[in-house]
Amino acid sequence: MKQTFNHFQFLLVLFSVFLLLPLAGCWSSHEIEEQSFGVGVAYDKGKESLAEKEFDEQGEGYTKKNLITSTYQLITPQVASSTTKQGGQQQKSYVNISETGDSPFQMLRELSLRSDTPLTSPHMKVMVISEALARAYSLEQLVDQTLRDNDFRPSCLVFISKGRASDTLESKTVGEIPAFHLYGMIDNSYRTTRILPPMPLIKLASKIQTGSSFLMQNVLSANGEIKFAGAGIIKGETSKMIGFLNEEELDGLAWITGKGKGGLVKSFDKKTGQLIVYEIESMKSHIQPHVKGDNISFDVHIESVGRLSESWMTSGSAFNNQFLKNAQKTSEKKVKHLVTNVLEKMQTKYKVDVAGFGNQLRIKQPRTWMRVKENWDQTFSEVPINYDVKLTIKDYGASGSKK
Amino acid sequence: MIKGSESEVMINSKDRITTPQTAIVVINFILGTGILTLPRTAAEQVKTPDVWLTVILGGIVTMIAAIIMVKLSRKFPGKTFYQYSKEITGKWLSKLISLLMIGYFLLLGGFHARSLAEVTGYLLLEGTPTWAIIMPFMWISLYLIRGGINPIARLFEIIFPITVILFLLVAFMSIKIFEIDNLRPVLGSGVLPVLKGVKTTALAFTGPEIMLIILAFMKEPHKAGKAALVGITIPIFIYVITVVMVIGALSIDGVVIRTWPTLDLIRSFELTGLIFERFDSLLLVVWIMQMFASFTINHYAASLGLSQLFQKNIHPFMYGLLPVIYLISMIPKNINDVFKLGDVIGNIALVLFGFLPLLLLIISKIKGVKYETNL
Amino acid sequence: MKVKKWRSTIKKIGNHANEKENKQEFTSQNSSNHVTDHLALTLKAVKNEIGHNSDVHFREFIIGRTGIQAAIIFVEGLSDKDLIEKHILSSLMADFSKEYQQDQLYVKESLSKQFIKSQVLSISDVEEVHFIKEVTSKVLTGSTALLIDGISPALILGTSKVKTRTIEEPVSEALVRGPRVGFTESLSDNTSLLRGSGDIENLSLVKFQVGKRSKKDLVVAYIKEIVDPELVEEVEKRITKIDLDNVPESGYVEQLIEDNYLSLFPQVQNTERPDRVIAALMEGRVAILLDGTPFALIAPVTFSMMLQSPEDYYERWIPGTFIRFLRYIAVVLSLFTPALYIAFISFHPGMIPTKLAISIIGTKSGVPFPALIEALFMEIAIEILREAGLRLPKPIGPAMGIVGGLIIGEAAVQAGIVSPILVIIVALTAISSFAIPQYSVGISLRILRFIAMLCAAILGLYGVVLFFLFMTSHLVKLKSFGVSYMSPAVPYRLSEWKDLMVRMPLMMMKRRPKMMHTKDSLRKG
Repeated sequence: MKQTFNHFQFLLVLFSVFLLLPLAGCWSSHEIEEQSFGVGVAYDKGKESLAEKEFDEQGEGYTKKNLITSTYQLITPQVASSTTKQGGQQQKSYVNISETGDSPFQMLRELSLRSDTPLTSPHMKVMVISEALARAYSLEQLVDQTLRDNDFRPSCLVFISKGRASDTLESKTVGEIPAFHLYGMIDNSYRTTRILPPMPLIKLASKIQTGSSFLMQNVLSANGEIKFAGAGIIKGETSKMIGFLNEEELDGLAWITGKGKGGLVKSFDKKTGQLIVYEIESMKSHIQPHVKGDNISFDVHIESVGRLSESWMTSGSAFNNQFLKNAQKTSEKKVKHLVTNVLEKMQTKYKVDVAGFGNQLRIKQPRTWMRVKENWDQTFSEVPINYDVKLTIKDYGASGSKK
Repeated sequence: MIKGSESEVMINSKDRITTPQTAIVVINFILGTGILTLPRTAAEQVKTPDVWLTVILGGIVTMIAAIIMVKLSRKFPGKTFYQYSKEITGKWLSKLISLLMIGYFLLLGGFHARSLAEVTGYLLLEGTPTWAIIMPFMWISLYLIRGGINPIARLFEIIFPITVILFLLVAFMSIKIFEIDNLRPVLGSGVLPVLKGVKTTALAFTGPEIMLIILAFMKEPHKAGKAALVGITIPIFIYVITVVMVIGALSIDGVVIRTWPTLDLIRSFELTGLIFERFDSLLLVVWIMQMFASFTINHYAASLGLSQLFQKNIHPFMYGLLPVIYLISMIPKNINDVFKLGDVIGNIALVLFGFLPLLLLIISKIKGVKYETNL
Repeated sequence: MKVKKWRSTIKKIGNHANEKENKQEFTSQNSSNHVTDHLALTLKAVKNEIGHNSDVHFREFIIGRTGIQAAIIFVEGLSDKDLIEKHILSSLMADFSKEYQQDQLYVKESLSKQFIKSQVLSISDVEEVHFIKEVTSKVLTGSTALLIDGISPALILGTSKVKTRTIEEPVSEALVRGPRVGFTESLSDNTSLLRGSGDIENLSLVKFQVGKRSKKDLVVAYIKEIVDPELVEEVEKRITKIDLDNVPESGYVEQLIEDNYLSLFPQVQNTERPDRVIAALMEGRVAILLDGTPFALIAPVTFSMMLQSPEDYYERWIPGTFIRFLRYIAVVLSLFTPALYIAFISFHPGMIPTKLAISIIGTKSGVPFPALIEALFMEIAIEILREAGLRLPKPIGPAMGIVGGLIIGEAAVQAGIVSPILVIIVALTAISSFAIPQYSVGISLRILRFIAMLCAAILGLYGVVLFFLFMTSHLVKLKSFGVSYMSPAVPYRLSEWKDLMVRMPLMMMKRRPKMMHTKDSLRKG
């Protein structure tokens, strides 16, 4: 009994002290319905919205330079309740609110001056940066706040937009939330080579840190609709945007890196000029660096297996291997063409290596890499690249010959 | 609970732990903040993707140190380091060393408490004052250690499988953003960078020094060596997996710029459709439990030390050390200071548990202390 | 001729007795608590004690043809009247001189209690007592006291026949598959059930008495060759320490012998099923049966036992394992779900899937209460409903539970007091708690759930983790009669885990649990 008495005393003390805690309050408790979830953010060059302009006119603001306009896409409690309850009238399922200033963090906090349900960002899915802003400021500076923040998750995807980024966060489709729409579209990469592998914030940070140049998916917006169209090129040294690769060039890039998961090659038959489409089932590419003294060169072997998906050829039977061989050759030529194009853009026009050649050099010839990594983009632009393409059509679907 | 306080009777013959329990105590003591920061601290030293090799080497180094400590302790069955050190070095020197060791445990305890508060405050409870995070934690630890080493070991045995399962689950889910290229080339820059980092990684494995104390509690002391080795091997696995997954996703350059790289790893992927989309809550649960385990051992080791040193009942020390540890945890002013504290503790560990046991072992061999085989 | 001699002998004895009475009149006081061989005195003493009771009967008679006075004392209703009339009165009042025609009859000493006991009384249960208090207490428990003039100790004849109910399936522990047998309130019925279920070697049943005023019989059962003798000793020691007026139910015994009365977890198991008791005894545990209650106690007990049901063993091993897993999941769910809900909603909305978070925001935005208040409200309502359901008459009870739950939940959502997600969570919790076989653990978990909710409300997920650590620390320190409560999970012994979360095929479970320190560890084949 003595033992339990000891216990009793101790527990009494413990209990009474524990009782003190609730008195002090639950510090971090914020009810979920008192906040809005930010699901997307767009950064544009500073241009005040109408409401802001009027606020400014009335004065009593604060000192700021209108460098950046951030547009936050929120799911407010009101919006959420209207979408979840069986709604007859479909209202917009999101709210966009813009704030202009020079510090993304300050702008975020300014929102609490404008809304009773302040923004909380753990569910941020996408971040879109406009071309104008990306050309003017280094990406590193732009995303610094989001990388430090404990709310922003490093899984948030980052995109570039050609026009105004805030336009990509608008949608005319009823019930659709643009941020989720964008986020979901990335999953389509198994259907086309024109979508880059997703770029979450954390990878962006790593890429910037390595100093190598890279690509970011580009989003176009028009009329309340959005489209993935090519990619923006970010130069490693400055982490600023310097140009675009269009959709076709992205195709070629996918072939070089071998990271495509699906897609097609559209080509025209040399003799008849008819359309032939080759559907990619799998592709592989092997980049082999060769170092001879000071000379670096690359060999790229591209292989793919797929099927004949569409053929406008009026003559010729798919049951015939010769026909298939022809189609293969035509498609291979097209691929080579794509690769040449993109290589030229990379080496000549922009002088950047965004296809991972440097990475392969680093892995396979680390000592050489140590020598050249400082100015790799420049060195790369002068390096000879040889490549060969081999496609195999293994079937042609359900339809065989043409009469 | 025996209230008897003579130090010779301190080790209650009923308060014994089995061999698996010993290994698990060691494992839980080793796993701590390292899970979160090791990728960065190691990558900072090694600078190549071969960090995982460094981790393995660090583990092996620690194994050697652990064997030395086990050999030393086995010469004095039934006695903790505090009790037998005086037989090697004489009364006053041993008191000094014991005090140093107690101080080490206290520092480490404060460090653990503070790290816990930092990470929890950052990710879970923004806005909650530090004392409100640390104090309940300490009180629960006090409640646990009042029962002696046995409940401690049992609690660890319960936490351990939960930790392993959740950790492995979470680590392998991060394959989604894993890129094997980030780990290549292997040994591209030779072996030298690997060796540069061994000191850092070996210090991430500090933990087996607890063998100096708990060997006295073992039911089968002749298996102590095995327990210690297993107790280090499993953290080697866990750390290697951590390092591989983190660097695979973030790349070497990415890792060194993040404060808590492992947390970033878990937070940077979302598996839509699976029950929790986001799994950082799982990792945090695991980590909090591990920190609790480490803290508890520190608390117990320090209390035991003081009670054996001054030959008094252990309970007042358990209570009394709480404010001390709390004050220690509040010493660092910012997170950089916290990391610095960690470094300092690491260096102390190096001396105290790297060199000292070896020294003592040699001295004891010279002195010809009899090797009592007590089974 | 012989008869004449016999009569005179008897007269002599009678005179002798009268003389004795005269002598003893002076010493009557100090023998008032002793049974004397003076019938009138003894009768007076007994009547003093219990004569005022209307159901105590005194029947005086003469033994056979001896002329010796005797009396029986019994309580109507408690004693078997049939037995008394046929076997006591008729045997004693019969003229047994004919049957036992021996010279011994003529000697005074021949009419000894020995004679009565061994040759006359055809009762199986005969005891001798010397104190009035014993006489009264035995009579009041249904025995009949036989007082014979000239014979000093009183004879107590076992004639108690308490009315008991028939053996039927226990209400609180119904199984789908298993014997439909439960203990009753009669201790002798219960012990017979234990013995009757197969010829158990070495089954020992040791009797004790508890309660100072209302003395109840208590039986400690164990299998001598298997059990650890220290355990038996400890159990018996604790039982003898019980110092109460009345011990109406085994629950009292449980509370007075358990290790830690402050703990939320029961350290003694209670059951109405004999098959559970037998299984426990086979493992080397000790069972305690108390007269007057069908609930037997089993000690020591571990946490894993609380989640086991005999059905696990009657079904095959794969379904058994599956159901056991389900139970563990149910425990975790019932304990942590509301707390996790509060933690995530109030503290960490970033840790739940986005779509879920949005729908929660949507449904919760009309609710005026913070998550903790909502959850407390619903949980308390469910607890009250559950208690109410227990007290209602059988036909309404279960229906009330279901209907009440559904309707109240629905209405509360419509009124905007709680959010629909919470209703689901609370329903899930309630259902999970029903999956736990032991009722007493179920109660503990319900209480713990509230504590978890409070912890979650103060410190979010961190609070829940701390709560888990605290609860586990407590469990790990808890012992039940020397056996650690969390065995066999910890310390690790792989061979012990065959019966923990899974149920390995019977062929593999050959040994008794090591934690019981049994003497004989093989389950014989």
